[in-house]
Amino acid sequence: MDKNIMLILFNILILLFMPFFVIGIVKKTKAFWAGRKGVSVFQPLFDTIRLFKKNRTISSTTSWIFNFAPVVVFATTLFAGLFVPMIQCYSIINVAGAFVIFSYILGLGKFFALISAMDTGSSFEGMGASREACFTTIVEPAFFIILASLIVLSGNYTFASITDVIKSNGTFGVLIVIMAVFALFIMLLTECSRVPVDDPTTHLELTMIHEVMILDNSGIDLVLITWASGMKMVILMALIANLIIPLGLGLKASIGLFLLTLILLAVIIGTLESAIARLRMSHVFEFVFVMSSFALIVASLAAVKIYGI
Amino acid sequence: MENFFIGIVALFLGGFISLLLKKQDYKLKFVSFMTFIAACFCLIDAVRVFAGDRLSDMLSFGVMFQNLVFSMDYLSAFFVVVISVMSFLAVIYSNGYLKNYILKGKNITAHCLFLPVLIASMLLVVTVQNALAFLIVWEIMSLSSFFLVIFEHEKKDVIKAGIKYLVYMHVSIIFIIVAFALFSIQTSSFNFSQFTDAFNVNPMLANLVFVLAFVGFGIKAGFFPFHNWLPDAHPAAPSHVSAMMSGVMIKTGIYGILRVLTFISHPEVQIGYFVLIISVISALYGVLYAISQHDIKRLLAYHSIENIGIIGIGIGVGMLGLAYNCPIVATLGFAGGILHILNHSIFKELLFLAAGSVYTKTHTRDIETLGGLIKPMSKTALLFLIASIAICGLPPFNGFISEFLIYFGMLKGLMVDNISMFIALILSIAGLALVGTMAILCFTKAFSVVFLGEPRSKEASEVKEDTTISFIFPMSVLALFTLLIGIFPQFIFDFMLKPVSIFVDRCLFDATQIISLMQIISLCAFGLIVLIFVLFGFKYLFKNKNEKYVTWGCGYNKPTSKMQYSASSYASPFITMLTPLFKKVVDIKKPKTIFPCDAHFEMRMEDVEEAYFLKPLFKSLETFFAKFEKIQNGNIQQYITYGLIFLALALVCVVILG
Repeated sequence: MDKNIMLILFNILILLFMPFFVIGIVKKTKAFWAGRKGVSVFQPLFDTIRLFKKNRTISSTTSWIFNFAPVVVFATTLFAGLFVPMIQCYSIINVAGAFVIFSYILGLGKFFALISAMDTGSSFEGMGASREACFTTIVEPAFFIILASLIVLSGNYTFASITDVIKSNGTFGVLIVIMAVFALFIMLLTECSRVPVDDPTTHLELTMIHEVMILDNSGIDLVLITWASGMKMVILMALIANLIIPLGLGLKASIGLFLLTLILLAVIIGTLESAIARLRMSHVFEFVFVMSSFALIVASLAAVKIYGI
Repeated sequence: MENFFIGIVALFLGGFISLLLKKQDYKLKFVSFMTFIAACFCLIDAVRVFAGDRLSDMLSFGVMFQNLVFSMDYLSAFFVVVISVMSFLAVIYSNGYLKNYILKGKNITAHCLFLPVLIASMLLVVTVQNALAFLIVWEIMSLSSFFLVIFEHEKKDVIKAGIKYLVYMHVSIIFIIVAFALFSIQTSSFNFSQFTDAFNVNPMLANLVFVLAFVGFGIKAGFFPFHNWLPDAHPAAPSHVSAMMSGVMIKTGIYGILRVLTFISHPEVQIGYFVLIISVISALYGVLYAISQHDIKRLLAYHSIENIGIIGIGIGVGMLGLAYNCPIVATLGFAGGILHILNHSIFKELLFLAAGSVYTKTHTRDIETLGGLIKPMSKTALLFLIASIAICGLPPFNGFISEFLIYFGMLKGLMVDNISMFIALILSIAGLALVGTMAILCFTKAFSVVFLGEPRSKEASEVKEDTTISFIFPMSVLALFTLLIGIFPQFIFDFMLKPVSIFVDRCLFDATQIISLMQIISLCAFGLIVLIFVLFGFKYLFKNKNEKYVTWGCGYNKPTSKMQYSASSYASPFITMLTPLFKKVVDIKKPKTIFPCDAHFEMRMEDVEEAYFLKPLFKSLETFFAKFEKIQNGNIQQYITYGLIFLALALVCVVILG
């Protein structure tokens, strides 16, 4: 089989099916630290299959937006995933300026997620939407600063080229990558609603963000949304993984290393969720702003590297 | 140019003949018909320009304007296209919008006169090649739009907003006069063709002139800190007029800036940074205040400031590209900025028209009292949704294309080996990303509070049907434009290269790489749409039953519309985060006694710039000038004394100076 076709297949498989295992591993880790046996790693997959068969209950307040939005959320996340480099830094759609297209396509999904939450006329979901929108405004500029800095360092405009940073920039490269990984990890926690920003296990706390937005979704709508949020997690993990994993490995080694990094990140998230409590809402802003400072550090390191002190 | 002149004559005829018609209805129909003819004729000439002709004509008007040159280069032709198409659609819309006013017995004679005059003056502004004549048509434009703004002049706040607009426009023209005066002193001519490279020997003066022109035209365009007229004038005007003003007229300010830029041709680095910084601040400021507004048209007006900022970012990047001799950066910047002019005029007009439809049905602009309109007004809601997505710059609509070009220009600009450029651009990239996400916050708020959920008032719940075809038709055309530009960016980019070639020499860069990038984006947009609809169809393969029930409210089954999130609560987390940037005005009457009978709470955000800078400034000016009141005391004897003193002084001067 042609290597490119194989990589495309791998990318799509990882994108579609890795979300279940990643979430399963997070749950398993949490169970381990809590001293429980925990559910199987495959449980999220079984849940999804079960939800496919279920009927939907739809609020009588809603309009076609509520019906349409889950599809848009899923489709945009899947499509954005095609831009993301995965195994051997191969991205299916490899264009210059890809990260801008990637972010804006995800933005379209977010737009629909927000209006779908508002469509139910529920005060809970409105609250979740307003917080989600607010956090995005903090996360997104920082993400753009990081990606723009990495692009300058690698001298290439494609998403895949971000991995060159370590190789071609020596000690600075290592420093920059550490900072960027920290920032992206905070982004991962925020965007995928993990502790300490958000707690995906409690459904009806007034402190909720993402989970509260989908209170009224059920059946296949719920499947699409949770699947999409899992995919987003895998996408961000893949970005982090590609920053760390060195280039030039064999196919088998890079597949192994890539999957291992994803699993490792899931274990870290699970451990983090067991070790710390979620922050108070007023402190969450401060936590998310830390990402901006990391981003600025990345940018200044890049400037120092290119122009000297 | 003959076709263009026929168009102008048709517009003026339309305006003045409509005065003679008796029935109000016919007046408007006649004006629309003449606008249609004018738009067609003007488009013919614009198309000829894009096909390669460079049109130019000389007319003589008396002694003052012998050999007045009108000409259309690519830039003018681009603006002629925008003005004629967008104005025509707005005029069609006015047929439906003004019907209610006519039924109420409102006299629309003056409105029908000034509507075509405004369009004609805008067309003349972008084609005339003489500074003096430019100022005259510019003034006609400002005045006619002033009369259009005060359509509902019986309302006090409308007159107030109108006067504010008039004052701002006259401050604006002072700066433009000074800038043009400097040019004509240097070249001893009023012709634009002579202005080119007038200050090549003196770059400092060139910078000064550019800044003066930027301030003058920037007041019209609505750059921060000269934006204050926008959020007042747009809500006051009828919707089609706000649509025309925001979609088209403020762009003439951008035209002015671009035209002055062609005179300078090689901008200095400093003014490039100046434009970039002002634009980033405008964009952020505009969207920040848009989030805090509850008046739908005020919200849209602030968004105009944001989008003017984005256009300015494009132009600023282009200027920096020119200054650093980096043609690809300049091309991308200018192409993005100029394309955003077109894009913004499309979706902003669509938004204003949709807001006007909502206003026609509910008679309120306060979004806190709306809700649930997607059910009775499904078409308007869909159109508003399309425009909202487009204005947030999200694919697959047109806003994304221009923003992507600007982003890509900035990314290319990062490679220019210069640390200040690096810092400026990386912050601008973050700024533009922030603007984009804030726009998402703002438009999810606007769309969902107006159209989704349950109606929040009696007016909103009484709406039973959508607006008529004269509302829907122009809006659908605009929505189609947003989608077409979004799906076929390669053609529009190719088209944009023509106006850009005025600023950047075409042989200096290779655009094929960007065109192929645009082709990929086109495929992506197409793929995304297909994926969404295939998945949507796929969803219906699962023949599961759907059950209707009330929204989940923790087991509480009698939710009311008051329990929904409102616009201010939706914006609240964001606004609390940035409290110092707002001036909160709270009007509260707390419930008192054991059985409180009335209570009241209202909160609005005032413009910080107006509250802390402009108001104190004008107050101090007022107290300063009040000191001179004694001179003008109405006493005729004293005035005669002034005259005598003046004559005596004049005599002394003559004697002394010989």
